[in-house]
Amino acid sequence: MKALIIDDEDLARAVVREHLAAHPDMEVTAECANGFEALKAAAQHQPDLIFLDIQMPKLDGFEVLELLEAEGKRPAVVFVTAYDQHALRAFEAHAVDYLLKPFSRERFDAALAKARALQTAQPPSVPPPATELAAAARQGKPLERIVVKDGPKVTVIHLDRLDWVQAQDDYVLLRTEGKNLLKQQTLANLEAQLDSSRFIRIHRSYVLNLDRLVRVEQDTKEHRDAILRDGTRLPVSRAGYQRLRELWEGA
Amino acid sequence: MHPLLASRARLGAYLLGWAPIALLLTGIARSQGWSWAEAGALALPLCLLAAFLFLSAWFLCRALPLGRTLESLGGHGAAWGMAAVLMGGLWAGLAWLLARLLAWLPGLEALPLRVSIALPVLTGLGILLYLASVALSYLMLAQDRAIEAERRGAELQLLAQESELKALRAQLNPHFLFNSLNSLSALTALDPARAREMCVLLSDFLRRSLGLGERRLVALREELDLARAYLAIEQIRFGARLQLDWRIDPAAEPALLPTLLLQPLVENAIKHGIAALPEGGILSLSTEAVEGHVILRVDNPMDADAPAPQGLGLGLRQVRQRLLGRFGSRARFEAGVQDGVHRVTLVFPLEIEP
Repeated sequence: MKALIIDDEDLARAVVREHLAAHPDMEVTAECANGFEALKAAAQHQPDLIFLDIQMPKLDGFEVLELLEAEGKRPAVVFVTAYDQHALRAFEAHAVDYLLKPFSRERFDAALAKARALQTAQPPSVPPPATELAAAARQGKPLERIVVKDGPKVTVIHLDRLDWVQAQDDYVLLRTEGKNLLKQQTLANLEAQLDSSRFIRIHRSYVLNLDRLVRVEQDTKEHRDAILRDGTRLPVSRAGYQRLRELWEGA
Repeated sequence: MHPLLASRARLGAYLLGWAPIALLLTGIARSQGWSWAEAGALALPLCLLAAFLFLSAWFLCRALPLGRTLESLGGHGAAWGMAAVLMGGLWAGLAWLLARLLAWLPGLEALPLRVSIALPVLTGLGILLYLASVALSYLMLAQDRAIEAERRGAELQLLAQESELKALRAQLNPHFLFNSLNSLSALTALDPARAREMCVLLSDFLRRSLGLGERRLVALREELDLARAYLAIEQIRFGARLQLDWRIDPAAEPALLPTLLLQPLVENAIKHGIAALPEGGILSLSTEAVEGHVILRVDNPMDADAPAPQGLGLGLRQVRQRLLGRFGSRARFEAGVQDGVHRVTLVFPLEIEP
C-alpha cells in the first residue's frame, strides 16, 4: 500500500514514519509539510492511504481531503491531530479513524488495520464527503472559508470576501473580488454550512452576503431586486424578502 | 422612587429636620402678634405640607444633572427659579386655604386675615425653602452617584479578576501540550538527548507557569523567562519555521506587570502567525525602558491571504483589560497589522517592587 504523510511539523511526520516502518507492505511515497504539497504528491503518487493532520497553514486537513475528492480521488484517511477529541468523536460514526497526538504503537496499528479493512472491503464502503466531516468537527460553528479548485489553481475564499452565491445545477457560482468561481456543490448544502446571520437565501438560486446589500427595490408588484454595493442587481423572491424582513425586524 | 420615601429611617430624619423650621415659623408668627394657638395650628401642618411638597425638587434635580462646567448653570438656574416661585406660591396659597378651614375652629377666626397679610412673606419663605430643597436634592444625587460608582468599580474589579482567572486557566493550552508531547514522542526514537532536553524544557515551562499563576503581579523578567521557555519548546516543534529576535532592555526587567500578560501575546504570535505560514517567520520580542515607562512589543508575520483580523480576539481583549485594569490611563495597548506584520504594543509605567 502506498501512503502519504501530511503534517506541517517535521517531528509529527517522523512519528508516523517510524510506526509505518514496522509494516513492510506499507510504502511511504511522500511526506508533505502543507496542503499544496499534499495535492501535488497525491496527483503524482496516487496513494491508497493518507495520514492527515487537521490544523495546517493555508489549507487545513479537511480542505485537502475535499480537494482530493474534487479530483475524484478518495484515498483511505487516518486523521492525526491534537485537535479537540470531542469534535472528532463524531468521526467514529463515519468509520473514519483518527489518532490523537501523542499515540501509542498499538493505537497506530489498530488504525492502520481499520484503514486496510476498509480499503479491501466488499462492497467498498463509501466514506462521507470531507465537507460533512469538517462540519461535524466544527460542532455547529459556521464555515469560515471555502476552497475551490479552478483548473490547476486552488483558491481559498474567506467568507467576508464572498459577495454572493448562485445555484447552477450541481454547481455553485461563487462571486468574490470581481471573479466568478465554480464549485461542485449544491446551494442548499453550502447554505446549510454558512452563518445564517450573515448569508441569506434571497431567492431559490441566490444566497447573498448581507454586508453587500444596500437596499431592496420593488420593480413591479411581484418583482423585487436587491441592489448591492457594486451596483449589481439580484432577484429577491417573495420568501427571500420575507427572510430579509424577519432579519431586519429581529435586529 | 424618591430616595427619602424609600427608607423609613431617612424619612424620619428628614421630617425631624423640619422641626426647627416649624419652630422658626411659630416664632415669627408670635413676633407679629399671633396667638400661640394661631401660630401653632398653622405652622405645624404647613411645615408638614412643605416637607412633602418640596420633595418634588429631587425629580427636577434628577432631570437637570449638574455638569462639570458652569455653562449649564444658566439654564438650570432659570428652571430652579421658576419652580421655586411656583412651589412657593402654591405653598402660600395652600396656607391661605388651610387658614380658611381652620377659621371654623373657635379662637382661630382671625387666621384668614392674618395669613392674607403674611402671604408675601410666606411666598418668599416658600421660595427659599424650595431652593434649599434643591440644594439638598443635589447633595443626595451626588451621594447616590458616588455609591453607584463605588459599586461599579467593585464590579469591574470582580470582572477583571474573573478574566484573570480565565486567562490563567487558558494558560495550559491543551493543543500546545499535546503537540509538544507528540514532538517528544518522536524525539525519543530519533534523538534521545534532545528528547531529554525537551522534557526539561516542558517541565521548566510548566513549573514556571504554575508558579506564576498564584501571583497577581510579577516582574517583567519572570514573564520573559516564561516566554523563553515556551518559545524554546515551540522551536523544537516548528524547527526552522520559528526564528526568534529578542531585544531586551535590562533596565525594563524589574518592572511589575499583571501576571501572565506576555504569555497570551506570544501564544497568539505563534498560533496566528508562525503556525499559519508554511515557511514560518521571525517572531520578535522587544522591551525598552523610556522615561519611566516600559514599551513591550511582540511582532509576528501574518498570512497575506488571510483577512485582516476584525477587532481583537478574546486573548488580546483580556490582555488589554488586565493591563488597563492595573494601570488605568497610565498604560496604553495597541494592536494592528502593517505591511504583513502583526504588532502588539504595551506601554505601562515602570514600577518596581518597593
